[in-house]
Amino acid sequence: MFAPPAPCYPYDPMTDPTLIRNFSIIAHIDHGKSTLADRMLEITHTIADRDMMEQVLDSMDIERERGITIKAQAVRLEYEANDGVTYQLNLIDTPGHVDFTYEVSRSLAACEGVLLVVDAAQGVEAQTVANAQLAMNAHLEIVPLINKIDLPAADPERVRHEIEEGLAIPADEAVLASAKTGVGVREALEAIVKHVPHPVGDPKAPLKALIFDSYFDAYRGVVALIRVVDGAVSKGMKIRMLATQTVTDVEEVGVRRPANIPVDELGVGEVGYLITGLKDPSLVKVGDTVTVAHHGTVDPLPGYREVKPMVYTGIFPIDGDQYPELRDALDRLQLNDPALIYDPESSHALGFGFRVGFLGLLHMEVVKERLEREFDLDLLATAPSVEYHVFLTNGTSSFIHSPQDMPDPGTIDHMEEPYLKATVLVPPEYVGAVMELAEGHRAAFKDMQYLSATTVELHYEMPLSELIMDYFDQLKSRTKGYASLDYEYIGYRESQLVKLDVLLAGKVVDALSFIVHKDKAFARGKMLTEKLRGIIPRQMFEVPIQAAIGGRIIARETVKAKRKDVLAKCYGGDISRKRKLLEKQKKGKKRMKNVGSIEVPQEAFMAILKVDE
Amino acid sequence: MSSSGDIPRLPAHLYVHVPLCRSKCAYCDFYSLPLADVAEDVSSIAGSLASQARAWLARDVGPQLLKSLYVGGGTPTVLGSDLAGLVALLTTWFPLAPGAEVTVEANPESLDAPLAAALAEAGVTRVSLGVQSLDDGVLAFLERSHDAATARAAAKAVRDAGLALSVDLICGIPGQSAQSWIDTLNGALALRPEHVSVYPLAIEAGTPLSAAVAIGDVPEPDPDTAADMMLLAQHVLGQAGLARYEVANYALPGAESRHNTAYWTGAPYLGIGPGAHGMLDAATAAAVGFMPARGENVARLRYSVACDLREGLTPMPRLDVEVLTAAETRREDVMLGLRLTRGVTDDEAEAAGVTGALETLEAAGLVELVDSSWRTTERGWLLGNEVFSAVWAGE
Repeated sequence: MFAPPAPCYPYDPMTDPTLIRNFSIIAHIDHGKSTLADRMLEITHTIADRDMMEQVLDSMDIERERGITIKAQAVRLEYEANDGVTYQLNLIDTPGHVDFTYEVSRSLAACEGVLLVVDAAQGVEAQTVANAQLAMNAHLEIVPLINKIDLPAADPERVRHEIEEGLAIPADEAVLASAKTGVGVREALEAIVKHVPHPVGDPKAPLKALIFDSYFDAYRGVVALIRVVDGAVSKGMKIRMLATQTVTDVEEVGVRRPANIPVDELGVGEVGYLITGLKDPSLVKVGDTVTVAHHGTVDPLPGYREVKPMVYTGIFPIDGDQYPELRDALDRLQLNDPALIYDPESSHALGFGFRVGFLGLLHMEVVKERLEREFDLDLLATAPSVEYHVFLTNGTSSFIHSPQDMPDPGTIDHMEEPYLKATVLVPPEYVGAVMELAEGHRAAFKDMQYLSATTVELHYEMPLSELIMDYFDQLKSRTKGYASLDYEYIGYRESQLVKLDVLLAGKVVDALSFIVHKDKAFARGKMLTEKLRGIIPRQMFEVPIQAAIGGRIIARETVKAKRKDVLAKCYGGDISRKRKLLEKQKKGKKRMKNVGSIEVPQEAFMAILKVDE
Repeated sequence: MSSSGDIPRLPAHLYVHVPLCRSKCAYCDFYSLPLADVAEDVSSIAGSLASQARAWLARDVGPQLLKSLYVGGGTPTVLGSDLAGLVALLTTWFPLAPGAEVTVEANPESLDAPLAAALAEAGVTRVSLGVQSLDDGVLAFLERSHDAATARAAAKAVRDAGLALSVDLICGIPGQSAQSWIDTLNGALALRPEHVSVYPLAIEAGTPLSAAVAIGDVPEPDPDTAADMMLLAQHVLGQAGLARYEVANYALPGAESRHNTAYWTGAPYLGIGPGAHGMLDAATAAAVGFMPARGENVARLRYSVACDLREGLTPMPRLDVEVLTAAETRREDVMLGLRLTRGVTDDEAEAAGVTGALETLEAAGLVELVDSSWRTTERGWLLGNEVFSAVWAGE
């Protein structure tokens, strides 16, 4: 099929859709996705070598440090293929973590194909499977690529076999590559041109475009990344976003190479950015459909949903005076991260802070780290909690996401908590270790299958609250790092839950309370008090630590009063040095939180996560 | 507090650091080198230290009779007879006031009767002997290069030479039993010292002992055991007439170390030798040209001698300098004064602006106000860091 003759623009005319390939690279973490993207930018001269910063697409510091992608990116490559034709390749990078599955699915919805990158030594891992399944569900062409073939431990034949057996994806034509050395990168681009279908759309239909990501620019407002499905979008058009019913003018459209380059129009199949001047990110939602304001399509693109936080934590400034700065910082972060939600929370122990909702644990860590690093805040986070559904005896129900909000147990009929289906991929010799860990975390075994002689896939159903209880770290350590994990939510299920309180010196410290399954309460309470005894330093007075359920003490430990703390040797040479030592100790104390008159280190509030079974 | 007269004067207290030891002990983080690592012979090191001391006399300040001279280390006695020569030379250049105290530190393995006699002859009045323990097992754990019998013999040599004896002891050592400690205290008293210092073992960073603790070979010293042993020492020594007059120091009446008391009472002192520290009042510091450019509101200057024995000792080595304002100086004086059993007067505390801090500490039972003086309680003695840091912070 052909587009109508392209009008004659001074530059960048709309591209014939048959010359467009929209693709994404999907991979398990550390399998080399970003390096591969860098090489593609290099060999298509999208970015000059001298401007090449390692891994251009992962632009946040934290992303680069952790080797993960949090925000999707999109970049247009001009590639002259072996057939002599220049193709427009739109590389849409996807977030590489399970916390961001919805974002991944929207990025994939903007593509016709994916490059599935698998490490030639590590082979297929949990996120390889999860991402491949997302791509299959989206009916995308999957082009396998076996990366890192230069590694001494590389075994491409084994990995090819794993891809075919485990994922049911033909891999005889898999590209063999080393993104590091550049081998196979051109072959990968050829494979994309050859195998990924070109976009198909109706240029005469009203505009229909998918917002697959957005970010906030301090000068331009919200910038949406879009994929045009039907019609075209150009500067000056009046548009409507279907989910939010926002009507606004198009200030600018353009393409990312990777800097924003304005163009006059984006047509069928094209990928680019859209600036409207809107300042409120909540009006521009990932997954929403853009159309013309009047007589546009009423038929939204499928797959849109409201993003909902799954994990909640209290975040408090160590220094109460920093509360306004924390609020401003959260406001700023939310501009670029609409998935972040927060409400004021106050704690008797910690003062004023926020209850913050996250997509998952990684999202939580990233946000806390950004708050501390980019906004120079000293923060204390309480143990994360999930959102519980509480049904009262009076027939009403509500969702709570803080132990503080738990109603009087006498008024509760029953409670439900979110469950998920967890997929663990592990070498066969560690299956026993995975099983043992599951028992301690209320994980119900569902099934198990051999993907290959070296990889077993296990499925569990378990509460999210157990997954966030150190499950992933434990899984990694018990399998010497070999296990990989993926999960998806499967809804709420009834559980026997109780609130466990912790008392320091006889007073409940609300920030240490948590909700736990009845059968686990005694063991967790006992272990937590033991753990806290080790964490809370000896004070000037004895500090009893108690765990209690509804006023009944179930465990007790004591931090003895400190008796001796004196620099005994202090002569001429020691005076300056010891004075500085005392100053340093004093500073260390300031990093602790005063709960009443007790100095409690930050880690105490996370101790429940580090309780070994 | 500072020297009197029209022109600034050198301090009346002189410390000379001899940074040599026969071998390093497991717990020690003082600046000293094992003899085997030093190329120079000990005579020329003694000569270099003397030259560094003499260089001060060339500066534009008045001299002053020394009230105390302290030769510490390291182990000064590894210099052998050169130590006696060094003391004689120093006291020639820095004349002693009548009744001045002249102390040398000694370790048992390098102090015999002839050296003790030579030191007495050179003007030494007092020996501080590093006994540490009279339990051979404990001494081996600390990697001391002497045993209990050698320590007893050295103490006897000190007494026979007519010198005052101070004994250093360490408690709270992993593996040290209460009985071992009691035996050490009683054994030390049998040496008839006028003065005893008792230190709970501290794990100092960078020492072999701290490495052993870090890898779990040695348990961390238990602070409660150390507290018990400190209380026991106070009791046993007190019964023998040695009263505690500072956090770690006990003496017969009148036998308190005058040199060390200068440190705790804000008296200026000169420090000489690699790693030594000194303290000058603002006037003297200005006169010798040490006052930093931003020198306004400086009341006190502390320095350390930044030179390395292995790189040779020049007469005027580089000094690292720290200055204190008048307010900081007053707070420091109160902080140090509270190390002394007699404490500080309420006027001094008021002038330093720390009365409020002391009242808070009083409420916690750490200090008490007796006869217009603030002093630590027994609890405040053992929890001295709480007292010192609150006073220094002024809150």
